[in-house]
Amino acid sequence: MRVLTCFLIVLICQHGFAAQNAQEYNRDVRPILSENCFVCHGFDEAAREADLRLDVAESALADRGGYAAIVPGDLEASELWRRINSEDEFEKMPPPDSHRELSAEQKETLRQWILHGAPYAKHWSFIRPKKSPIPQVANGEWPRNEIDHFVAAKLDQEGLEPSPIADRHMLIRRLTLDLTGLPPSAEEVEEFANDDDPKAYEGLVERLLASPHFGERMALEWLDAARYADTNGYSIDGGRHLWLWRDWVINAFNENMPYDQFIVEQIAGDLLPHPTDAQLIATGFQRNNMVTHEGGTIPEENLANYNADRVKTLGEAVLGLTLGCAQCHDHKYDPITQRDYYRMFAYFNTLSDVGLDGGGGVNPRPFIEAKTVLATGELPSLQERIAAIHEELRHLKPDVLAKWEENQQALLRQRGQDFALHSIKLLKVSTPNSGAGFDIEEDRFVTISQPPNFGAYDVSMRLPDGGLPITGLRVVFHPDPAAPEEGWGYGTLPQQKPGLDSDAIGKGTFVLTALAASVGSVPGDQVDLHRLFEIQRVTANSWREDYLPKQVLDARRINGWSPEIESMGPVHITLTLAEPIDVGQTPYLTSHVNFGHPGKLVGGRFEFYAMTGIDEDSDLPGEVLAVLKTPFGKRSPQQSELLQRYCADHAEATEPLRIELENLEERVRVLTEKFPTMVMDESVEPRETRILIRGNYASPGEKVTPGTPAALLPPPANANANRLGLAEWLTMPTHPLTARVAVNRIWQMLFGSGIVSTAADFGSQGTWPTHPDLLDWLAVDFVESGWDTKALVRKIVTSATYRQTSATSQTSTVLELDPDNQFLARGPRFRLPAEFIRDATLKTSGLLVPRIGGPSVNPYTPGDLWREVSHYGSTPSTAQTFFQDHGEKLYRRSLYTYWKRTVPPPNMVAFDAPPRETCSVQRATTTTPLQALVLLNDVQFVEASRNFAERILAHSDHDKERIHWAFKECISRMPATKEFDIVTNTLERERKRYDADEAAAQSYVSNGESPRNEEIPPAELAAWSQVAALLMNLSETVTCN
Amino acid sequence: MNPLQDKECHETRRTFLGKTAGGIGQIALGSLLSASMPHAVHAAADNLGSGKLPHFAPKAKRIVCLFQAGGMSHVDLFDNKPSLAKFNGHEIPPSVKGDQRLTGMTSGQSAYPVVAPLWQGRLCGQQGTWISDQLPYTQSIADQICLVKTVYTEAINHDPAITFMNTGNQQPGYASMGAWLSYGLGSENKNLPTFIAMVSQGSGKNPGQPIFSRLWGSGFLPSSHQGVGLRAGSNPVLYLNDPPGINRSQRRELLDDLAKLNHLRAKELGDTETLTRINAYEMAFRMQSSVPELTDISQESPATLADYGPEVHKAGSYAANCLLARRLLERNVRFVQLYHRGWDQHIAISRQLPNQCRDIDQPTAALVRDLKQRGLLEDTLVVFATEFGRTVFSQGTLGDPRMGRDHHGRCFTVWLAGAGIKSGMEYGKTDDFCYNIAENPVHLRDLHATILHCLGIDHARFTYPFRGLDAKLTGVEEANVVRGILA
Repeated sequence: MRVLTCFLIVLICQHGFAAQNAQEYNRDVRPILSENCFVCHGFDEAAREADLRLDVAESALADRGGYAAIVPGDLEASELWRRINSEDEFEKMPPPDSHRELSAEQKETLRQWILHGAPYAKHWSFIRPKKSPIPQVANGEWPRNEIDHFVAAKLDQEGLEPSPIADRHMLIRRLTLDLTGLPPSAEEVEEFANDDDPKAYEGLVERLLASPHFGERMALEWLDAARYADTNGYSIDGGRHLWLWRDWVINAFNENMPYDQFIVEQIAGDLLPHPTDAQLIATGFQRNNMVTHEGGTIPEENLANYNADRVKTLGEAVLGLTLGCAQCHDHKYDPITQRDYYRMFAYFNTLSDVGLDGGGGVNPRPFIEAKTVLATGELPSLQERIAAIHEELRHLKPDVLAKWEENQQALLRQRGQDFALHSIKLLKVSTPNSGAGFDIEEDRFVTISQPPNFGAYDVSMRLPDGGLPITGLRVVFHPDPAAPEEGWGYGTLPQQKPGLDSDAIGKGTFVLTALAASVGSVPGDQVDLHRLFEIQRVTANSWREDYLPKQVLDARRINGWSPEIESMGPVHITLTLAEPIDVGQTPYLTSHVNFGHPGKLVGGRFEFYAMTGIDEDSDLPGEVLAVLKTPFGKRSPQQSELLQRYCADHAEATEPLRIELENLEERVRVLTEKFPTMVMDESVEPRETRILIRGNYASPGEKVTPGTPAALLPPPANANANRLGLAEWLTMPTHPLTARVAVNRIWQMLFGSGIVSTAADFGSQGTWPTHPDLLDWLAVDFVESGWDTKALVRKIVTSATYRQTSATSQTSTVLELDPDNQFLARGPRFRLPAEFIRDATLKTSGLLVPRIGGPSVNPYTPGDLWREVSHYGSTPSTAQTFFQDHGEKLYRRSLYTYWKRTVPPPNMVAFDAPPRETCSVQRATTTTPLQALVLLNDVQFVEASRNFAERILAHSDHDKERIHWAFKECISRMPATKEFDIVTNTLERERKRYDADEAAAQSYVSNGESPRNEEIPPAELAAWSQVAALLMNLSETVTCN
Repeated sequence: MNPLQDKECHETRRTFLGKTAGGIGQIALGSLLSASMPHAVHAAADNLGSGKLPHFAPKAKRIVCLFQAGGMSHVDLFDNKPSLAKFNGHEIPPSVKGDQRLTGMTSGQSAYPVVAPLWQGRLCGQQGTWISDQLPYTQSIADQICLVKTVYTEAINHDPAITFMNTGNQQPGYASMGAWLSYGLGSENKNLPTFIAMVSQGSGKNPGQPIFSRLWGSGFLPSSHQGVGLRAGSNPVLYLNDPPGINRSQRRELLDDLAKLNHLRAKELGDTETLTRINAYEMAFRMQSSVPELTDISQESPATLADYGPEVHKAGSYAANCLLARRLLERNVRFVQLYHRGWDQHIAISRQLPNQCRDIDQPTAALVRDLKQRGLLEDTLVVFATEFGRTVFSQGTLGDPRMGRDHHGRCFTVWLAGAGIKSGMEYGKTDDFCYNIAENPVHLRDLHATILHCLGIDHARFTYPFRGLDAKLTGVEEANVVRGILA
């Protein structure tokens, strides 16, 4: 017996894992002790009861004055055995108030364990992994590489058989989704299905590994782990700039940067000799933590929270350890002391970050300005297109200009018809951050006597009822004696037309950054965000070229309306409403007046008028009006040129071109200019680190220096006690955790579940690996390969294990035997991550714009969800109101969608995307009705169905071929006869419906901003769109089979 | 039973019970999907703490939480004492103020003068509970509610404090109360989500402190348990409406086709998760009619509408949300969470607070009365809460119209009513300055434990495995049910 015990221990120590069938401490016994006993009899000294530890043999077996908790081989003498079987409420273990109870099975395990000598072992994941010999397996034909030997050995043990290889359609779909996050095209499917090269699959793997989308796909998991987002989080959640780091990650995967380097540069790129900009950008990894700029918070507390988050993230993302559990006390389960914790904390406590920072859209310090690491190969094509657009705008098609002028002339003819103004009675004015300095005079003027730096005022009023429908709202700003030089406001702007009036520069003015209104049947102190007026037109009697009237409709602080400083007398702005107000129904109006620019650019005295009839003003500048008044034949070439230029810059017809131009010019800047990005650095005067008693920042204890946990391997001899030393320790080839954790996460990505299913916890409370020897083999091989991520992915996806079909026949028992597919007797199957569902839809529809990287974008969102909960109007921070982008930015891959932490994109959250507030290395895959609503009704997906329909129609003239192609394009296979019949029936039904209801057809195909092919009759397009929507909603479409 | 059906049963149940990438065995009994499953399934799930739920017979079947976001002034509204008038304008004694931390907004002040409640109040109900005249309707329900005057929290700023109150932890990443209950108790309505959140804007301070989806999020629980936002406007649940150019019968037919295709393929692949997805589409379809039916208040009697006050006609207002809350509770929605913003009176409290009070007073009282009249208060718990109170001393200069009060977590008032709660009582005492607790402290963990208790749940046994811990709503520190307020 003793010999066996020693043998077991030796075996465990040498290999990390013992033979599979014998009882094993780490797999079988430790989880029971850990779950039920370690809280009081474990590693945490402060919580330890009766001075007894059951996590180490020395204490568990020690003589306690005539008895011992465990006497190897002797149940009767083992106090533990007596206690767990006691009925006495004071003796029974675990004690009744712990609400824990051992099952009969668990007791039996402990009984066997004690009887067999109670062998202890070091926790498996703390022992350096070794490659164990490749198991020989009965089914010698099946394995394609080492992975399969380990898997087959396990299947043998469990009495399971591997499934057949998946067919080519399933294979290419799975592989393409797994390696790029996008489905293959119908043509790619076809080509692969018919490729008789025996190495066709391997060729496909190579092609996909080389795709630039590989980096995007791989980045997604790391962005979750790193809690990447575009806002600071916490309550105000203002915008930040860290996308250069995100692009660094994509690039690192695409260039197959060795994983050790990937970690070193992110943890300590700034401490490398002569760091490059790229290495500095990389350190943004540990700046992804949330930061707060909530007034009143305490900087020391904030900084402690930031570092705690960094330690937690490092633990879960890199080490697979729940280090965060040791913040307030020693770890309950793993050998991590609170002191260890604060030594890790100390590595990051040397940054020069500031406890209250990051407001106003400016990055929290420290940050640098740097250029993107992305390749700039697309520059020539960008510039070519930009030049072409300029050309197109310079030479407008005559009919564009003619149509625009016709419109303008019509508007000018109506201008001022029945126009009248009616003074509005003001009821109340309010602003969030001041109790004084603003008032109402004579029931009609808002007066601001103490201008804030930026200020938002809500004005509640009672509309006059003159019987006529109210068509608009005018706000008049009066010269105010209290303002500088009797201007209209308290701030000054640089003069726009130099030389005209040199005195004007001192005149007080304002910038109106937002103007909105709503009405109701009862007075409203605040504008009703859910019922803001739709505005048809904005005019003013004066404006600066850099502050146009229509900019008040963009609620952000970045622009607004300001009158020309040379104007005299009152200035006004007029909103024409899309729908007139029925004063009988809704007599109360509330207007939101926002002066958002710094420098007290706030109005002094203003009043409101209701407009009836048609606005007397025009949004055209005087010189354009002059041209329009000149008969066509009498215009000078300069006048014609002026008109053409104005039309190019303002007409609705040229808007798509202008948007495209703006997007492309931004893209050029992204590739060529420097942008701010958050980094780590070493403070000139680093903060000292003390153990925080009970984790409380205000209770500092013993001082500690940076260092790694004592229970793990020691750092390299020459390592410094700084982040570089930490990084070197993490990436030591002998490190027991780093490679295992990385390998496991990639396995999880490809199989839906890791070999260790608790990917963030390889500690005592983590789950036992399903294939321990395989995990170790892969981890060692990963290190030996030079931490080669692509090689690891290649190894996994070329295995026979990965290539199995995920289908199970109706007679198979495998679903009963292994419902979770732990033993891998079939191929993986899981619902796609949120991002890939949207990306796949965009690709299938042909809308996807496959650019890599750049600032995040704001595609369609149902309304301004941000402003409903944000600090809009009360803070200089950005990202308080949602402003949708246009053009190509609607169709970028989803990892580029602007991630506001407190209001993440709802169509992503519906599919389990985490909020990115804290580290997350596993996503749930739920199935909910909200997901159905997104896929059926979100304009992004509805528009995609229409675009997919256009592609289907373009593919062939025959319905049958169209349907075949649509199946292949969407789900990478041909339809079965029954499926074909169902879809054909759908098509015929929808054709009939839309043929009979042209208006509905027109309405459906108008969803979304992308232009539609006008040559296709709307009814035909709408009918096919329904077919497209049907396919895009298939369970198979959102699943990786 | 044929093998596939058999597998379907197994797999469907399993999918209902959740499947995570990691297979921790999470229970994704989505608030949104559970109704078609027998109730017993929830309780039988292996990971639901260490026992079946509910652990004992619940008094409350459902809960509505009326959350006053920003920090409601307990001093002005609920916790007046004669001593305050006496000390008005005098510096708060150092022995009372102690050395506890203040926020950065007042920590630099040179003086901390006591400000007595800014308005009169009166003793209400049979017990003579003092309630401010700013809350006349609340005064009238004094006999229905139980004021707990000694709730306290360690957090002193909004984000950690409101996160603490709603999720049991000051840091992000934890599950909200409603998510816990969705996870633990599931749904009793197959057409509506289990957990609904609604937000309204205060008219005292606009915008108020931001709030965030984390407060009704699922944290470490599967995301199907997150609160579903019910919003004013044409799309009360995001993406609820069919797109332009689609009608209901057409959608029905398309879903039938979709189900047929999905069934065929599910059979072919042995893919039973697809069956769950078919159910999800069906529930989505039902929600498309049940939600508009819910939000249509045209059938409410004029008397009821009048009770909730004039703002009930303004969708998205606190009053309208209170009425919707009753309609949701009537339909057996498990957890209804309201947030009313704007209670952060650092500045101009004399100007802002009356507006905030007017927003919520009449609708809140109307909701309690309405629930009572309909017999719903017997098995519905009403919680009226906030993240902290406000300082008895002034922020800014005494007498200045800009004067306000800073955050105060050492003690503040919360009230509860309905199922399981003693009505018409006050619990706990603060000192003469409403600054420290004199007797019966109630940590917000205790409040959580008490809420769970009313729903038949032992907080200590209601756990979820996360990162090696059995995570609880009440966290790792001791929490106790406040027995003194239980009926």
